Amino acid sequence: MIKKKIHIENAVRKLRFNNNEMTQQELAELVGVSRQTVVAIEKYKYTPSLDLAFKIALAFDMEIQEVFFIKQ
Amino acid sequence: MNIKIRNTLGEITGASIAMIWMYSNLTNVVNMTIESISKVLAQGIGISIILIIALHIILNILSSIITGQYEKDIDDERDKIFELYALQVSSAIFGISIVATLVLLGWFNLTISAGLIAITFSGFIASIVSLLLKIYLYR
Repeated sequence: MIKKKIHIENAVRKLRFNNNEMTQQELAELVGVSRQTVVAIEKYKYTPSLDLAFKIALAFDMEIQEVFFIKQ
Repeated sequence: MNIKIRNTLGEITGASIAMIWMYSNLTNVVNMTIESISKVLAQGIGISIILIIALHIILNILSSIITGQYEKDIDDERDKIFELYALQVSSAIFGISIVATLVLLGWFNLTISAGLIAITFSGFIASIVSLLLKIYLYR
């Protein structure tokens, strides 16, 4: 059993800039959440559900593991 | 200040004003009948609901005028988690205060009127504490 707490990080901020400098509001509208939630995800203050993580990955047309990953 | 914090502040203000109004109308509680106390408490709950709705509208109109843009209030999964935390805290506070009131009524000769007031006020306090927790989480 894995008891160690894992820290999930993401590349959302970087990916937004690589996607024609997409704004947080634009990403929030694409995936159906509030801008505050996107801000919290980018600051690693909130880890999204699997459903939302997939939606974000799809918004960038990428695989989920390319957007969300465990900090080594 | 984002829309979530603004709306929560509006709810805290509405509940606080209603509590103050009830407190000011219950100063002579010793000479009041249980019917009149119940009327004040029921009116206080009504006032808090109306105030919260009015403050929501006023604060959002003011915000739109100041910033020049309309901000949508979207409820997503993060909001639901925060709602759950707030609900747990308010349920705990309200539950403890109900038990405390029943103990005081049963063993320490607290009057029914005082018990009624204590339960109503503990509901408001539980609500305000849970709203403060939401502001802390949204900060």
